[in-house]
Amino acid sequence: MKQAKKKLRLLPGLILVLVFVLSACGGNSNSSGKESSGTGEKSSGPVTITYYTIDSPDRTYVEKLIPDFESAHPNIKVKVEKAPYEQFDSKLQANIAAKNAPDITSHFGYGGFAEYYNKDLLTDLTDIMNEDGFKPSDFGIQDELMDIYKVDGKTYGIPFSNYVTVLLYNKDMFDHAGLPYPPSDYEDKSWTFDKMVEVADKLTVRDDDIEKSAYGVNFGWGELDMRPAYFGVKVYSDDTWTNGGKPSETHFDSPEAIDAYQQLIDLIWDKEVSPTPAWSKSVAGQFGDPFLSGKVGMTVGGSWSLASQDQFNFKIGVAAVPYGGNDEERSVLYVDPLFVLKDSKHPKEAYEFIKFLISKDVQEKSIELSGGTPPINDQAKDKYYNSFEGVDPEAIKNVYDGANKYGVESYNHLVANYSQINELFINEFAAAENNTKPVPEVMQGIQKKLDKLLERVNK
Amino acid sequence: MSNSVTERNTHVTMDPAALKADSRRKMTIGEIIAFILLICITITMIFPVVFMVSTALKTSKEMLQFPPTIIPRVFAWENFRTLFANEEIKFGILYKNSIIVAVVSVIGTVFSSALVAYGFTRYRAKGKRILFMLMISTMMLPYPAVMIPQFILFSNLGWVNSFLPLIVPTFLGSAYQIFLLRQFFMSLPNELYDSGRIDGCTEFRLFWKIALPLSGPALATVAIFTFIWTWNDLLGPVLYLSSQEKFTLPVGLAAMMSSKFRIAPYNLLMCASIMTTLPIIAIFASAQKHFTEGIVLTGIK
Repeated sequence: MKQAKKKLRLLPGLILVLVFVLSACGGNSNSSGKESSGTGEKSSGPVTITYYTIDSPDRTYVEKLIPDFESAHPNIKVKVEKAPYEQFDSKLQANIAAKNAPDITSHFGYGGFAEYYNKDLLTDLTDIMNEDGFKPSDFGIQDELMDIYKVDGKTYGIPFSNYVTVLLYNKDMFDHAGLPYPPSDYEDKSWTFDKMVEVADKLTVRDDDIEKSAYGVNFGWGELDMRPAYFGVKVYSDDTWTNGGKPSETHFDSPEAIDAYQQLIDLIWDKEVSPTPAWSKSVAGQFGDPFLSGKVGMTVGGSWSLASQDQFNFKIGVAAVPYGGNDEERSVLYVDPLFVLKDSKHPKEAYEFIKFLISKDVQEKSIELSGGTPPINDQAKDKYYNSFEGVDPEAIKNVYDGANKYGVESYNHLVANYSQINELFINEFAAAENNTKPVPEVMQGIQKKLDKLLERVNK
Repeated sequence: MSNSVTERNTHVTMDPAALKADSRRKMTIGEIIAFILLICITITMIFPVVFMVSTALKTSKEMLQFPPTIIPRVFAWENFRTLFANEEIKFGILYKNSIIVAVVSVIGTVFSSALVAYGFTRYRAKGKRILFMLMISTMMLPYPAVMIPQFILFSNLGWVNSFLPLIVPTFLGSAYQIFLLRQFFMSLPNELYDSGRIDGCTEFRLFWKIALPLSGPALATVAIFTFIWTWNDLLGPVLYLSSQEKFTLPVGLAAMMSSKFRIAPYNLLMCASIMTTLPIIAIFASAQKHFTEGIVLTGIK
């Protein structure tokens, strides 16, 4: 008995030994990685910077550009870390907590620029850029786009891609209905919201049989909270755009805002030219976009849809977003910046890599490697316009020129705590989209909840 | 499996003639309705699987077609080849990594949990109940709550981007499995151990030669649960693994639908899903008998 007990006492010891052996293995397998970054702290050897991104081919293409960069910059090594979209924020958070933050990333996950800025995660790049004599024009970046990620005149992010909002139309449906294609020129004043509704009406087939039915337009302009801007209605107070995304006031229940939302809901239930949520769900299935079913004539949405157009079972064209009464803002821009995180030990080297990524040749290469990411660099845009077989390059060029001229950056990048706001909208606005509650009532409800939410989160 | 058991029993208790008569017996209306109902439910349960297989065999154009086809017009068997040959997905490596992590975790969890459960069952000690309660209470902590402290710990140990943070904790027992095994061990009569001791068994031998062999069903349950959990675990591998060569299947699958700007390759994703579910189905099928027994037995006590 005594002996047995003695032996039993050995067991925890054995387990401990096992753990130590395993940990020794771990130390070995990791030490190689540590050495390279360890020597980085001495100024002599190469430094390693980490680029953190989403694990999908349209983001990880950066890996293929690294050899070129490293041969041009022998003192800098670049490592790419990646995570699936859903877990992007969690992994970043854990790494920041463990003092293992990446050097470069973007708002690739749920949180937008405002989130990063307000959590004080970003390096102010202004001094580094001034020292280097950075000129946006050298990299073909339009000044307006460069300004998006400035707060108080300080630059916290350098744009690298330039998605915009476009109107895609199903050429087959237009041909079938014998209608002329919508224009791509933003200066064509005849192309208005009302005109679009008129065209949509001709494309719509109202039939209870879902296979025979078709709709004219799916108006996905920006996120839900942003849509009044299309009609020129302000919903966030002006200070939102200068203080890092914390609105002092919001006006979602103003008569103008309610009227704007009413116009959009009328597309579904009054004019019946837009699909109901139920119809969209049943034709879009797992892919989420009813336009892909070939049963929606026009769709307003992000220009990323272009990148997948060769998979569509119909021919498409691109056109301008119609004029809705706002003289300045007609296209929502999704300009993604690259950030250098505050914990970065090598901000200068990180900045060098960002400069490399936005240079003309690399931007041109990136279009192909990423399967159609629009370059921020104007010098590389021609290549982008010509990357979509069967779609008129001239039309894409017109649409991009107009979109950037009449562009407004998507609020999801600029308003703090956006994912909560967006979730509130998606949940509450469903009642209006499903026609179970009148729009004014829905908007008053949203405004009340939003006030509470903002009071809680923006303290 | 349980059917075969009852069938065998009827063979023993009934004479063949009576059995034959029984099988020719007409079904009652109630039974017919029940069967129809069951068939309907089965179809709805099976439909997603059918659709998974069907999508896996479609070309990327046909997969977007509306109305969707159930039987693909062209069977794109090459999707499976593409999946394994694709340089970016590296499916073979994902598979290998998942198997390594899952198998080692199963060994670790079964061994360590059995050992701890055995201790909790066999010995009396001061504060044993408190210790047990403490251990059980760790089951209440959701992973996201311990995620960051744990990450900091493993990161300081230099274990990031290795399988160690995923494997080593399994050698330290799992509260749920310890609880499950303890309930089972408590059902083993003390006389067995006494006789073993008379024959000169050491305490470890009692555990190894008496407790474990008699706990087949419970151990199978623990093994299957652990396998399925580790096989499906996404957040852990995402946090700890950072190079493509180390990723596991769930990370790879999640990555395939990570793009916000491109249509996910659903046909390849479905091929990958089929390949991913196969081991689970295989393991469950082969261990099903033990598994169901295990749940029943541990449940009774």
